[in-house]
Amino acid sequence: MTGALRLAWLFFRVGALNELQYRVNFVMQLFHSALALATGLVVLALVFSHTTELRGWSHGELLAVLGVHILMGGAIRVAIQPNMNRLMEEIRDGTLDYALTKPEDAQLLVSLREVRTWQGVELVTGAVVLGYALTRVGGEAGPLDAAAFALLLLVGAAMIYSFWLVLATGAFWLVRMDQAAELFEGVYQTGRWPVGVYPPLLRVWLTFLVPIAFAVTVPAEAATGRLEWTTVVLALAFGAALFAFARWFFRQGLKRYSGASA
Amino acid sequence: MSAQAGALRSLVDFYATGMRTAVQSQFQYRVANYFWMVGMLAEPVIYLVVWTTVARAQGGELNGITAGQFAAYYIVWTLVRNMNIVFTPYGWEWRIRDGQLSGLLLRPLHPLHYDLAYFAGWKVVVIVLWLPVAGILALAFRPELSPNVAQVAAFALAIWGAYLIRSMFLWLLGMLSFWTTRVSAVFEVFFVGELLLSGRLVPMQLMPEWVQGLAGFTPFYWTFGFPIEALVADLDGRTLVEGLLLQALWTLIGLGLVLVAWRYAVRRYSAVGN
Amino acid sequence: MPAIDVRDLTKTFLVPEREAGLLAAMRSLVRRRQREVRAVDAISFAIEPGEVVGFLGPNGAGKTTTLKMLSGLLHPSGGEARVLGHVPARREREYLRQITLVMGNRNQLQWDLPALDSFELNRAIYRLPRDGFVPMRDELIELLDVGDLVRKPVRNLSLGERMKVEIVGALLHRPAVLFLDEPTLGLDVTMQKRIRAFVAEYNRRHGATVLLTSHYMADVEALCRRVIVIHHGTILFDGPLARLAERFAAHKTISVVVANGAVLDAYGEVVNRDGDRVWLRVPKEETARATARLLAEQEVLDLTVEDPPIEDVIDTVFAQERAE
Repeated sequence: MTGALRLAWLFFRVGALNELQYRVNFVMQLFHSALALATGLVVLALVFSHTTELRGWSHGELLAVLGVHILMGGAIRVAIQPNMNRLMEEIRDGTLDYALTKPEDAQLLVSLREVRTWQGVELVTGAVVLGYALTRVGGEAGPLDAAAFALLLLVGAAMIYSFWLVLATGAFWLVRMDQAAELFEGVYQTGRWPVGVYPPLLRVWLTFLVPIAFAVTVPAEAATGRLEWTTVVLALAFGAALFAFARWFFRQGLKRYSGASA
Repeated sequence: MSAQAGALRSLVDFYATGMRTAVQSQFQYRVANYFWMVGMLAEPVIYLVVWTTVARAQGGELNGITAGQFAAYYIVWTLVRNMNIVFTPYGWEWRIRDGQLSGLLLRPLHPLHYDLAYFAGWKVVVIVLWLPVAGILALAFRPELSPNVAQVAAFALAIWGAYLIRSMFLWLLGMLSFWTTRVSAVFEVFFVGELLLSGRLVPMQLMPEWVQGLAGFTPFYWTFGFPIEALVADLDGRTLVEGLLLQALWTLIGLGLVLVAWRYAVRRYSAVGN
Repeated sequence: MPAIDVRDLTKTFLVPEREAGLLAAMRSLVRRRQREVRAVDAISFAIEPGEVVGFLGPNGAGKTTTLKMLSGLLHPSGGEARVLGHVPARREREYLRQITLVMGNRNQLQWDLPALDSFELNRAIYRLPRDGFVPMRDELIELLDVGDLVRKPVRNLSLGERMKVEIVGALLHRPAVLFLDEPTLGLDVTMQKRIRAFVAEYNRRHGATVLLTSHYMADVEALCRRVIVIHHGTILFDGPLARLAERFAAHKTISVVVANGAVLDAYGEVVNRDGDRVWLRVPKEETARATARLLAEQEVLDLTVEDPPIEDVIDTVFAQERAE
């Protein structure tokens, strides 16, 4: 476990050093984040100029969802997407060998080596929005709620990671997976709103097919005190299952890869 | 006079050939086109779901728009959105640095014709591919929609008007690349403005009064909201005709600006090279 | 009247200058320092209709910049140029219809479609009447022997094949002036020969004026009776190719095979060795004497006196220029 953490820290440092050279990226990212945030806030304000609640969610609570959405989006763009995109590229180009001949666990390596530190701006933005939203929601937040939130955030991130890993592993069989990243961007936008507003079929897809519900809605529920313990159990169980499946699937892909390339 | 007629006929010939070339090319990429179209559906579906939820919470309709009408609005939205896709202003930097621009400048034809013809041909493929998608969306969301002949005709014209206006203004944006590479900030502000003022986010009547007023000074509504409303909002004949004329006006304004900007851009390019 | 008439043509660029280091980078945000670079410095030449002229020079000499000015892509900073009576910088439609610029590996054809479809598009762009277009197209296809290639999507063709169909596309409108910028760049020897033969034939049939730049001496030697050598933006030589060596070459090369493989440094500079054969470079004036000595003192099995390869001549020319 400590090995994994050490590796993660090493990659993060290298990534950060590399990117600090590109100061322009930080500024552009700040601007982009600000613009995206402003748009999100305007949309919420517009909705709430016509109504006082959306399927039982108040303005403040929806702001919390927005905050978690931005936060999770940041996590995805900092660590998950760059690694998975690189993995898909290397599978397609046949250059995955470099990663496989290193003494570290292959899955660990391919999941940690790319870091886009400047996207970290989104993590901060999301946290700020969430913080502000919670002041509007009011209520009592004890350490148990905070712990639940942190846990569910991690579980949600782990599920998105597993989902992405499954998608990337698909590249071992169907080489043309580049459209996947773009599709995900679109689908992820659904997380801006609590999954309960969507019609039933869509809700099921957004929970179990692409785990947006667990990535955004559930942690937001934890933060705003709407959480039910059954959801927690479901999240943990489904999360563990998805993670295990992704790892197994990845190993299958590796077997095929090393078998295929003579 | 016959020289003019000959030139016009050659231009029509070019557009026909150019569009045909685009259709042949893009048809080969129909799978990629479908993927893109499907990915693009998330946005209108989200808006649709949110606004119908709000409408239902308010007793079935919002500002006079029912859930079924919202569905109609956002389904037609998907076609109009596709018609809005033109040469991206980000593409100019690539054109300049890659050397493609030199090739375009060597031809005895304004490059705008080339883009207009190519994307128009692409649109034809897109419209055909879109029809089944619209069918599925209609089954899923049950739109309320019953336009008369005049409205359908106006819609058919309006979508091409939208295409032309957006082509002009995005070309105009792209010209900035001749002077600087730091263009994405300007582009993003433009796109956000467009999102809020065009009817892409919501039917414009749901926007506060002052926003609607502001939008009146911009061409955005004529690229998005107007074509949709022509088919969906049961506008009367006079409004339709006025709208089409305003589209023509904005196209001419855009064209004028593009022609001027292009002259400066070429002057800049031929002073500096790439 | 010359087809191409250039007088004191000049092109200067402003190049931003920046030193390394964080402080310099920050300073450069506030105040940009610029340096003037003369890519082309008051050159003059005239080319008659139907001539095939080679434009020789190392990278950065100003060849491509000159071609771009003559085709209207760049505005001259000074002097004037006239091609077919037009001022290229004005980019008049009538002018663009009579010229063509072919650059090494630039794609003007549609990637996913057979070249024939791109030719149709060019027909529409250049407003070519069908009865003129079809025979010209077929003639070009036959000359370049690409009949079976034009129905395949361009992306499926190799680099050389792509170059050939690009050339067909570039000549459909029967231009009177051809600007060829490194047309054989990156191609294999057979393909290079084919393209050279084509340019010669096209010039013969249609009397087009050809201005060709190249790195490869073989291109110039095969096609051009006249060559213009350009370096650092100025013209060093403008005249028949044959006279180039005469004017600049200070050496001759003696190619000799001796029986016992003796060391031959005493007779001249050894520039190459291949098995038994040795190439010696000797100053022009010394040639007769060195040859005589070799024949007298060594057991010579074979001996030839050669002009240095043109590449060496050019290199010497450029070296001279640099030294001045």
